[in-house]
Amino acid sequence: MNNPNNPIFPYLPHDIPLPLPTGGMDALLIPVFHILLVVSFLVHIIFINVLLGSSVLSVINNWIGHLKNDKNYDKVAYLLTTPVTISENMGALWGVAPLLIVSVMYTAFFYSASVMNSPQWLHIIWGNVVAFLISYLYKFSWHKLEDHKALHITIGAIAAILFLSLPPVFMSTVQLYVTPSTWTPNTHFWDVVSRPDVLFRLAHFYLGAFAVNGMFMLLYGVYKKSKGQDLEAANILIRQGKAWFLVPTVLNLFVGTLAFFQFPNYGIESFYSKGFEVFIIIAVISVLGAIAILLKEFFNDNISPKHAYLAAGLLLVTLISMGITRHGMRVSLLEPAIAQMQKQTQEYLAAVEKDYKEAKTKPVGISVAEAANLSEGEKLVAKNGCTACHAVDTKIVGPAFKEVAKKGYTPDRIVKLIYQPEPSNWPGYTPMPPMANVPKDEAEKIAKWITELK
Amino acid sequence: MFDYPIFEMPVLGHRLIFAIDAILHVLISHGAAVGGSIVLALTQWYAIKTNDQKLYDLTYKILFVMFIAATAIGALAGIGIWIHANIIDPPAIGSLLRVFFWKWFTEWIVFNVELIFLLAWFLTWKTYGWEKRTQNLKFGIVYAVSSWLTMVIITAILGFMLTPGNWLKSDFPAQPDYVASLFNPGWIPSLMFRTFFAIGFAAAISMYWTWWFTRNDLALREKAERWFGRIVLATIPMTIIFGLWYYAQIPQEAKSLMFVAGLTTKYIGHKEMLIIALLGAFALILVAVFAFYLKPKAVPFALASLMMVSYVFLVAEFERIREFVRKPYIIYGYMYAHGIRNSDVAHLNNVGVLKYASFVPQQYRTITEENKVKVGEYLFKLECRVCHSVDGVNAITKKVKGLDENAIYHRIGALNSPATPFMPPFVGTDEERKALAAYLATLVEQKQTQTAVNK
Repeated sequence: MNNPNNPIFPYLPHDIPLPLPTGGMDALLIPVFHILLVVSFLVHIIFINVLLGSSVLSVINNWIGHLKNDKNYDKVAYLLTTPVTISENMGALWGVAPLLIVSVMYTAFFYSASVMNSPQWLHIIWGNVVAFLISYLYKFSWHKLEDHKALHITIGAIAAILFLSLPPVFMSTVQLYVTPSTWTPNTHFWDVVSRPDVLFRLAHFYLGAFAVNGMFMLLYGVYKKSKGQDLEAANILIRQGKAWFLVPTVLNLFVGTLAFFQFPNYGIESFYSKGFEVFIIIAVISVLGAIAILLKEFFNDNISPKHAYLAAGLLLVTLISMGITRHGMRVSLLEPAIAQMQKQTQEYLAAVEKDYKEAKTKPVGISVAEAANLSEGEKLVAKNGCTACHAVDTKIVGPAFKEVAKKGYTPDRIVKLIYQPEPSNWPGYTPMPPMANVPKDEAEKIAKWITELK
Repeated sequence: MFDYPIFEMPVLGHRLIFAIDAILHVLISHGAAVGGSIVLALTQWYAIKTNDQKLYDLTYKILFVMFIAATAIGALAGIGIWIHANIIDPPAIGSLLRVFFWKWFTEWIVFNVELIFLLAWFLTWKTYGWEKRTQNLKFGIVYAVSSWLTMVIITAILGFMLTPGNWLKSDFPAQPDYVASLFNPGWIPSLMFRTFFAIGFAAAISMYWTWWFTRNDLALREKAERWFGRIVLATIPMTIIFGLWYYAQIPQEAKSLMFVAGLTTKYIGHKEMLIIALLGAFALILVAVFAFYLKPKAVPFALASLMMVSYVFLVAEFERIREFVRKPYIIYGYMYAHGIRNSDVAHLNNVGVLKYASFVPQQYRTITEENKVKVGEYLFKLECRVCHSVDGVNAITKKVKGLDENAIYHRIGALNSPATPFMPPFVGTDEERKALAAYLATLVEQKQTQTAVNK
């Protein structure tokens, strides 16, 4: 549909007609927004990686401990609940900053995608709340349920599965908002979540989450060991950490490549023309370094802290480069859409301004000449909103005022009926609400006017 | 709204899902976080000062409850307010973000401090134990201060929505005055009102849980209940004073909607009901607090529960009224509830909303005799669905019951009239108004056929 170099976006809302909050210092602050977005998202995603990985691994180790009747695995499982608590809280918190920046820089894109994916999009709140509560239950019932391991492991598994159910919802919205060329009036969550671009990115994300958590476990084990605490548990953390880092990372070299080529062509072209591929190269080289170190030390439980930190440092370089890559793709995909949106918005606002100023010069409502011809009663029924439902001669929502006059009510009775209507008097009509807004003296004048209508 | 994609929330409608999330957040943020942090840090200090380990342990038990509520529900429901707002009224929340970005960003930084110190306070309470109690208390104090600071910022934004003051330097192009929007007239009074209310509410929650945790220790109950009771009593006059000051800042039009806000249009004929309910809840709280204060050992759990229910009712009713009296606006005097700005109205009445409704399929963006019912349905989705569901909560079918197409057409033309001043005007051309009327008329027919079939 789209020419790769000149894409068209048939479905775009307007931009928010207020300036970006830079106070006029666009040149200074726009780059700050970009940097804040990349950095805060990176912190967010590292916490989320640990949350997902550690939730799952706590349950797995709990289970192994139960099967092998080995207290050390149980210890590992329990140790992992603390990073879960910290990273679920910090992960949610550090998700707010990127949400804030995306909402202000890419407002119409992000919000459109959110709306298209709703109400499923709300799962990131309500599913998260339930997952949080169950994961607290898992953590704080550890000692009480020591003799009911099957139940306890089930609780932990439910929490982990619930946490794992959140990324598909996130990924659908994230991928949808950066690909406005795919929007149609019928785009909806279930179509988006099953799109190949979303599925590949999702696979890449899950693998990455376990890899990052593997590195975290390795560091956690090395730290415990250096402190001389829980030595057996520390060994398990180190062994598992290396394996959980290596396998998903190697797989991700392939999945990541496939995910990249799922993006629309015009975005990939623009990505290359801006030179962002450098960051992919940096990411791959440094992650290969980390892989090499951990392969060499694979069977060494007493891996030197120095080597572990070096591997972690290389992984951090990879993560930063990938964060920039991700942002580069977003910028490349949205640039032409933003240009088109701004043009549309400017045209719209120019038309709005013209009509607004024109309308201001016209007299509002009833013109002076007309008002002179109206009786006081007519003015009062217009003023108090009666004419929304009643006209003098014809039935609108309620009966015509002349019909009311035919009932032969006294003025006092009409005043009462204004404040406390009796719908039973008018079968077949919509019941009238009590009109408490009408001032007493005006109600009396209106009532008198109605009784005098012929 | 009219240029964004469309999603419908079946049965519940948009307003209700938003209200559930928002009220949950307010209950927990006021009761467990802002108020809770202040009350519990004070109580921890009091336990240390009176050298009372039992009270110290009780404080942790209450903190445990509040920690779970604040982190698992309160914080997420707070983010949820945003997420709900961005799918329900994207231009409104988008506009607020443009005006308040740096305030929100500052709040987020403070929020970091708040959460880190909450985690530190809670997670080290047991490991530090009674020996390192003063060190642990320091975490609690930082948490309480930062928690209150987040409220300082968010009340500026809430105050702005209802009492924006003169925040626009110019309309074309729209240029906000960032300082004026922050120092909107409602800010300080609403902040102080909420602060004292939150402290009282948190102390009441603590009284409730104290009853539960001291089932086997009536001496501890006596001391703790009196302590929390004193806090509640101290907050009440302050809440009232600042409440009145806050009330004085609200625009007259909004004040006149107060009763319909509190009672819904259905019960507006019974104004006394609202006053009785509010005063009743208030009286119940006073009775419970005095009972706890005078005879802490004799108060039944039912009274403690009723006091909680009364507080929850007051919070929910206050937030409902505050949200409702802002109508027909979402940002007072600038943007209507359906996301159309005042200044857009003239142009959209000339050319129609369909012209810009990007997400309405092309064949429904020009009205013909054949498609006008379907177009009307789209218009309903564009302008009405924020508040009305078709057949569920605040159902439009109930509002048009018994009306014919012509009557509906007239009614649509006078939505923002003194009869229903909380309704935004219908925006669009006469043709669009007719299409909407045609669609709504088919709903009336469907309803009548259904009733006939059911009979």
